[in-house]
Amino acid sequence: MLRTDRIVGGLAILVAVFFIWRTTLIEIPFISDPLGPKTFPVIICVVLALAGLGIMLKPDAEPHWPKASGFIEVGIGIVVFIAYAELLPVLGFIIATCIAGGILAWRLGAPPVQAAIAGIGIALGIYAVFHLALGLTLAVGPLGF
Amino acid sequence: MEALSSLGDGFIVALSVQNLLLAAIGCLLGTIIGALPGLGPSNGVAILIPLAFSLGLGATPALILLTSVYYGAMYGGRISSILLNIPGDEPAMMTCLDGYPMARAGRAGEALAISGIASFVGAFFATWGLVFLAPQLVDVALLFGPAEYFALFALAFATIGGVAASNQMKSLLATGFGLLIAMVGVDQQTGVTRFSFNNVHFYDGIDFLVVIVGLFALSEVFIFLEHRSGGGMDTHSVPLGRTTVTKKDLVDTTPAMARSTVVGFIAGVLPGAGASLGSFLAYTLEKKVSDKNKTFGKGDPRGVAAPEAGNNAAAGGALVPMLALGVPGSGTTAVLLSLLLALNITPGPLLFQQNPDVVWGLIAALFIANIMLLALNLPLIKLFVKVLQVPTRYLMPAVAMISFVGVYGISGSTFDLLVMIAFGVIGWLFRKLDIPLVPIILGVLLGKLMEANLRRELTISDGDWWALIDSPLAIGIWLFAVAGFVAPIVLGRFFRVKEKQPFDGETLDTD
Amino acid sequence: MKHVNFAKAAVIIAGLTLPGAAVAFDPGATECIAPANPGGGWDFTCRQVGKTLQDLGLISGTMQVTNLTGGSGGVAFAQITNKRNEDNNVIVAASSATATRLAQGAFPGGTMDQVRWIGSVGADYGIIAVAADSSVDTLPQLIDQVKADPSSVAFAGGSAVGGWDHLKVLSMAKKAGVEDVRTVKYVAFEGGGEAITQLLAGSIQAFTGDASEAKGFVDSGDIKVLAVLAPERMEGDFANFPTAKEQGIDAVGANWRGFYGPGGMSEEAYDYWAQNLKTLYDSPEWKQVMETNGIAPLDLSGEAFQEYVAASVDEIQTLSREIGLIK
Repeated sequence: MLRTDRIVGGLAILVAVFFIWRTTLIEIPFISDPLGPKTFPVIICVVLALAGLGIMLKPDAEPHWPKASGFIEVGIGIVVFIAYAELLPVLGFIIATCIAGGILAWRLGAPPVQAAIAGIGIALGIYAVFHLALGLTLAVGPLGF
Repeated sequence: MEALSSLGDGFIVALSVQNLLLAAIGCLLGTIIGALPGLGPSNGVAILIPLAFSLGLGATPALILLTSVYYGAMYGGRISSILLNIPGDEPAMMTCLDGYPMARAGRAGEALAISGIASFVGAFFATWGLVFLAPQLVDVALLFGPAEYFALFALAFATIGGVAASNQMKSLLATGFGLLIAMVGVDQQTGVTRFSFNNVHFYDGIDFLVVIVGLFALSEVFIFLEHRSGGGMDTHSVPLGRTTVTKKDLVDTTPAMARSTVVGFIAGVLPGAGASLGSFLAYTLEKKVSDKNKTFGKGDPRGVAAPEAGNNAAAGGALVPMLALGVPGSGTTAVLLSLLLALNITPGPLLFQQNPDVVWGLIAALFIANIMLLALNLPLIKLFVKVLQVPTRYLMPAVAMISFVGVYGISGSTFDLLVMIAFGVIGWLFRKLDIPLVPIILGVLLGKLMEANLRRELTISDGDWWALIDSPLAIGIWLFAVAGFVAPIVLGRFFRVKEKQPFDGETLDTD
Repeated sequence: MKHVNFAKAAVIIAGLTLPGAAVAFDPGATECIAPANPGGGWDFTCRQVGKTLQDLGLISGTMQVTNLTGGSGGVAFAQITNKRNEDNNVIVAASSATATRLAQGAFPGGTMDQVRWIGSVGADYGIIAVAADSSVDTLPQLIDQVKADPSSVAFAGGSAVGGWDHLKVLSMAKKAGVEDVRTVKYVAFEGGGEAITQLLAGSIQAFTGDASEAKGFVDSGDIKVLAVLAPERMEGDFANFPTAKEQGIDAVGANWRGFYGPGGMSEEAYDYWAQNLKTLYDSPEWKQVMETNGIAPLDLSGEAFQEYVAASVDEIQTLSREIGLIK
């Protein structure tokens, strides 16, 4: 039976092999210490591969995967986060945070109106603490905040 | 005693109205900064340096403000660890392991109280250590060459097996993963870049803050998203419980605090990983010594007391090499050091003679800040636990946004945010798969240092590997690591003497 | 971007009416980019200069400091060249480390002539030191040891291999006549302080770093400074120590601090910034900042600074090629 852990172990081995290959591509300059920049990463990759092998041979019980709806919610979360990261410098902190915070609150089960209020509240609260109290430079948008 | 009279002079400096006020402000800001994921002590102190300058503070008041922030952040980090399972800063990572299970069992208030007291104990005795032992401790730090540091980091990794996870192979996988992350960026010893994929953003490596916030904070948000509106995990159902410590718990945790203070303080004195190493070793050693009934990781008060006493003691210990050698023992002391230099105070062997008013004023301020923090933190527990009554649908978006702002406000980099999101997804998957997150962070924090010290030693010895075990100290650390941690695991497996593993995949996952 | 248009108009008018006359360029909100996290050297440079410019009334309002971390300054460099090439109001903190990375091609696609080098605000000179109980007393003695057996002397510094502390030693060794500088042993530590600690612990034999890093240990007598890599004797605490030049080795290593601006900035804006940094440098207020922070003099602005950076990039490139760090 194909268990999730067997896939995880296999993936770990693949990652290890990939990084060993990347390690061989490192060009060593004329000056190098006795050990060089390659040895340690290779040791790590071997450890990683051994761990992967161990997990493949002795997998744990199956994890509790969510239903499809759970995956969709996580997917929405990822999209919101990426959009937030990209739009932060464009829209400015307050607007971007109102939107992202609002959508997250809504997806976590708040009614739309409350979610929107939560988004605004979170944005203003963070702005007060981080910008006004701590003096951090937050992203400035077209409206100056 | 000379030290005591100097300390008395220090109290005269520190007990002015202005300085007391600054200490109070610093403690409050520090606690907040520590509790917010994404802002830790080092960048918390860094972002307040301009404030100190713009207020036109002199050397001593500026130091009092910023070290209060430093100690405050060490206290604050535990709050989000216990209440949300999200470490507020990297040294508070270990406090999640038992603090969050305690909170889930309705003992959040107790966990906060015990950890608050442990923080006080750790910081209090570490500050005394600073008063009496600073010169001798400098000699200890000088015993540590690259070979000894390498052995020390090997010890830290050897203890990982005891941290968590029913499956040791998964701990090993997590360690390897963390170490691999640490390899990204310019290699100090040759100047070549590794695993940067020609992306300039990777040249400096991956900031551990980005990793820790992604792995812990964002993955927590993903878990709540997965369960939508938190059916079955509604926080309202968790009773808040008492907010004071029982006498029994206090008695039970006292030995843990005492041992952890010593371990943490020594880890802090050694320039390197500072408080994170301190809390990590304090926890793993305490578990080794006193986890007879396998209660660690399930909400054992000693598992909360140990790392908090350890990291606060390390915070005090890290001031020793900073003041006496000008060598930062941690990220935060590196920032404090740059402040000292900017104030025209040269740290180093002569600091205690040349600027006694600054040093002793600072040490007195540490005592005052520590007492203030205890006084501030215990009554406020009633307020802190209220966080648990905020519905997750409002709390988690706030946590997510704070994480983003913390990282963006410091680095101004969208790329860092994207890396953080990637680690959030990885953290979520790893939690599902029962792969522990703590070894990843340890790998990221210590991986580079471990490799660097190995290669430094081999450079100095022209490639002679025996140089690694050329001193009694190095041999001692290696023996301790092998006999205390590696051998039991290997032999245990070989002879099958281990009692059968309890059949619960119980981890940090909130399922 | 109203003020940019105004500036362009001013260029035209100036060109028509008063050739060569200084035209008042009036920046709007000024910004200083520190290509590192708060608390570091570049951040400090931005904040100190911003504050002093404001105190002197050279800029209106405060100068905003933006931290833009990544790639050892590479991210900020790319941001300026790609996105803000015409911005007249922004300057970026830089140092020898910036020149080193540019010389070694560590900013992908970045070269030093893509930006305008505005001026320096001081320097930190390099030193070579040994432990107080070392049998070595002068720089030539140390060099002789290196020549006789390169593996007997391990230099330690706070920068990576190929970084500034390392290059200083190599440049010095080369000028002292060491045939193959690649044999010189260098161990990289996390910072100057850590390197000095290892010198005291006896793990390594010599220290290469900046004067300011070593000050505390020089005062206490724990380390012995063999040479200061400055063009002439320094003032203050380091006045007692000979320069390398005095000992017959013509090596200078200045870790300068300064600024660059976008390559497409207007001539008026460039002159404005160069002039203002010069005024700042000459002011008693800045002298005070230099003194409290142990910054040594290095007074270059405008074209002179541009040439200085070009020369230092050239030298670093040659050296890096020789040791095989670049091709």
